[in-house]
Amino acid sequence: MKSTQVVVCIGCGGVGKTTVSASLGYMLADQGYKTLVLTIDPAKRLATTLGIEGTKEITEVPGVQLKGKLFASVIDHQTVFNDFIKRASGAGADITPIFRNKLYQQMSTNLSGSQEFTALEKLYSTYESGEYDWIVLDTPPSKHAIDFLNAPQKLSALFNDSVAKWFRNTDGKGGLFSQIISTGTRQVIQILESLTGSEFVKELRLFFSYIHSWQDKLENRIVQVHKLLVSSNTQFFLISSLDEVKMTEALSLGQEVRKQGFPLNKIIINKSQFEKTFDFNIGLGNVQTPEALKELEQFKGSFEHYITHREELLHKFENSVANRMDLVSLKEYLDPISDTDNLKLIAFDLSQKIKL
Amino acid sequence: MQKIVFVTGKGGVGKSIYAAALAQKYSLKGKRTLLVELGDESFFKTFFGLPQVQYTPSKTLNDFEVALWSGSEALKEYALHLLKSEAVYRLFFENKVSRALIQIAPGLPELAILGKITSGPRHHGPSSPHEVIVVDAFATGHFMALMRAPKGMAQAISFGPMGEQSRSIMKTVEDATVCEYHIVTLAEELPIKETIELYDQLKTEFNISADIILNKKLNTQLQSSELNSGNNEFVKYVKETLAREEDARTRLKERNLNPSEVPFIYDKTSYELIEQIAAGIKL
Repeated sequence: MKSTQVVVCIGCGGVGKTTVSASLGYMLADQGYKTLVLTIDPAKRLATTLGIEGTKEITEVPGVQLKGKLFASVIDHQTVFNDFIKRASGAGADITPIFRNKLYQQMSTNLSGSQEFTALEKLYSTYESGEYDWIVLDTPPSKHAIDFLNAPQKLSALFNDSVAKWFRNTDGKGGLFSQIISTGTRQVIQILESLTGSEFVKELRLFFSYIHSWQDKLENRIVQVHKLLVSSNTQFFLISSLDEVKMTEALSLGQEVRKQGFPLNKIIINKSQFEKTFDFNIGLGNVQTPEALKELEQFKGSFEHYITHREELLHKFENSVANRMDLVSLKEYLDPISDTDNLKLIAFDLSQKIKL
Repeated sequence: MQKIVFVTGKGGVGKSIYAAALAQKYSLKGKRTLLVELGDESFFKTFFGLPQVQYTPSKTLNDFEVALWSGSEALKEYALHLLKSEAVYRLFFENKVSRALIQIAPGLPELAILGKITSGPRHHGPSSPHEVIVVDAFATGHFMALMRAPKGMAQAISFGPMGEQSRSIMKTVEDATVCEYHIVTLAEELPIKETIELYDQLKTEFNISADIILNKKLNTQLQSSELNSGNNEFVKYVKETLAREEDARTRLKERNLNPSEVPFIYDKTSYELIEQIAAGIKL
């Protein structure tokens, strides 16, 4: 049996990562594969198009005619995290207090690293299910995409046993040994109380008293996910926009990602070609007034210049990634509404440039 | 009184460059201005080709200064201010346990950042020499998390210095005589939609009336009705883009929102770009 293939789309916010991920899914499904697109926070319009607005379930995308099947899902961080904790705590464990803990609620959704963890957890569990030929994972918006790959380790550090033990042993009920080691600890707790107040410290103790029951499983999961991400079943695509600073950042990010052993070999520059070819030598047509024609002619001059500028930028960038990564330049469609036709257009453009 | 301008918007709409242009505009008006970016990595370092951008403000080739404020550094400064001892600070913060703690505390880095930004008007900590602070803030979703951090913390911790601080920060960010909010958008369906949603959230949750900036407007006086597209793809492109801009304006107007418009300028050095955009900004 052929195992599931994974594409992870990384890149900073505002470059069209979610749309490109969905279009990649569309392309793969149209090639006959059973494909799942896991998105993080799609705009409403895209969510409606994918049929996943208002649901967190894996849903078959409606209104598309494809050779294969296309499924999509929005990752619901709280549910994924809760499910993970339930499983990790084992049957019969009373987990109600931890779900009510304010710090847990914050942590499972807002903590830096937790959204990344739930995204990867969802990826891994759907990968494990063996249900799909391809899974395309869109990643959480971050100013810098490298955060995504480092986040699980950050989360893992938080669950480190030494940290958790430290708090469990400060409730005053510990044995002689814990009382000895907690002398320095108590000092720190006092500082913490003076900074935050005692309520906070109470919540914190409860939080850490639960952590020990699932920290092993969490760390195990992070190791498993890491293995999948560096395996030959996975490839990373880096998405950027046509912008000098963004592309420079993308390039150094690409190097960093590869240095860490993740298989990244494609950079997709979104919206970097115009949909149509412009011919500036033909007449401008009958413009309403002579003033408007004059204005249009003036604008034409600066627009031609702009196009040359974009081409040079792309070319310069292409040269700097040559031999290291494939550069894929995608078209910009004038009316960027995320309906099915739009996904189809981008998917077609992708299929001309990427063979998976 | 120090003025604070928060610049936000959907990712990719050009808010950083607008924020820099705004800082330039204020400094041209003779105001000592600081441009602040948030997070761990500097965009302006690359953009302006500066040797570095750090927590402590430094000069740019323009008149304004620039700084990069991360949650952990803002928190360190705040803690040092409260604890009044570097040694106690080290005991508490420079170990694995506390670093983990800082991560799980609800919105603590965000709170520390907002605390730092508003420290001048709140007369908290060292006084700031700047008359205007322009904050190149987070994109929409994360920006709301930033704004909600004081309320969240005040609810989680009602007593103690942290609770007090949270309430004072909350009051300052809602004070229209101190803080201004600029939402940058493009004349495209999704950014406009997100802009209106963000505007409504700021209004409902904080009673803040944000200004809307329509960025990257085609640099021409033409109107779509003046052009007949025929089969010239370039004219068609211009006509459709102008129509899209007109549609964006209409959608904002329906909500009684009047955007300021910033023309699309390209192919300039960073400094020329900032100057040109600044020239088009009306304060």
